[in-house]
Amino acid sequence: MKNLILSAVIMSFVLVSCNQKKQEETINTTTNTTEKVTVKVNPNSFSINEIVSDYLSLKNALAKDNSNATADAGKAMVETLGKIDMKKLSGEQMKNYMDIADDVKEHATHIGDNAGNIAHQREHFVLLSKDINDLIKIFGTDQKLYQDFCPMADEGKGAIWISEVKEIKNPYFGSEMLTCGSVRKEF
Amino acid sequence: MQLYRPARNITFGQDVTADFIKVYNVPKNIAVILRTSCYDCHSNNTNYPWYSNIQPVEIFMENHINEGKEDLNFNEYGNYSKRRQNSKLEAISKEIKQNEMPLASYALIHKNAILSNAQKQEVLTWIKKTKDSLSSKY
Repeated sequence: MKNLILSAVIMSFVLVSCNQKKQEETINTTTNTTEKVTVKVNPNSFSINEIVSDYLSLKNALAKDNSNATADAGKAMVETLGKIDMKKLSGEQMKNYMDIADDVKEHATHIGDNAGNIAHQREHFVLLSKDINDLIKIFGTDQKLYQDFCPMADEGKGAIWISEVKEIKNPYFGSEMLTCGSVRKEF
Repeated sequence: MQLYRPARNITFGQDVTADFIKVYNVPKNIAVILRTSCYDCHSNNTNYPWYSNIQPVEIFMENHINEGKEDLNFNEYGNYSKRRQNSKLEAISKEIKQNEMPLASYALIHKNAILSNAQKQEVLTWIKKTKDSLSSKY
């Protein structure tokens, strides 16, 4: 009999706590939906400005043939990526951002790790530039930017880069061919 | 020194859905090459030779495997974003073309890991074909 009472008490505890959990869950879902609504109202609070500015200093270091400064900019970019607050993004935007950001991180890490090997840094810069270009296309930019193109980069396949100045300063060849290339597009 | 035994790079019952070979549905001839020449250092499972029990071989190998896995892990390939996967394909073909991989120090003691020119071509052609079909999709 004692056992029976004991188990009845335990059962009631279990039931009560289960119910509480359910309630908590419902509360959680409601807060989630309200959060989503605020995101839709204010989608422009998310910014890639810091990533772009790290990219531009990386690009300028490459144009100056400065491998160490390039590596430093790559490391700074990895840090910046870690600080980006994705909560402000909607589902679709977040998916796009995460797809590109994972790749940006890959290239930035390799560029950061390869001080002294500027040829390898430039290899990664090809795809990094494409990523930054696509980020700007999706999330926009506050400053005037140019998409430049060098037909000789990437083993003659040609490659783009993003610049804040109209004047051509080629990051793929540096002093070897500083003015090779042309502006293809303006953001 | 012979007493130092780092944990071995072997994972049992691993989830294989993220594996490179699954992600791209890699044909068997390519899969065999990758498993023989790349997976020892670029996956969660190393096929250890007997002499890996002798120090300092073991320490040397352990460092290689950790570095290799950090850069590219074929077992966890599906966890990279689509765009990053594409970059990895590009990087793999560059490494093979430039004879950077398999590492000379690894090939020295793993003669069967050395890629013949025909094998290199086989892998490079497959990568190119895969990349082209992906770029038409995205």
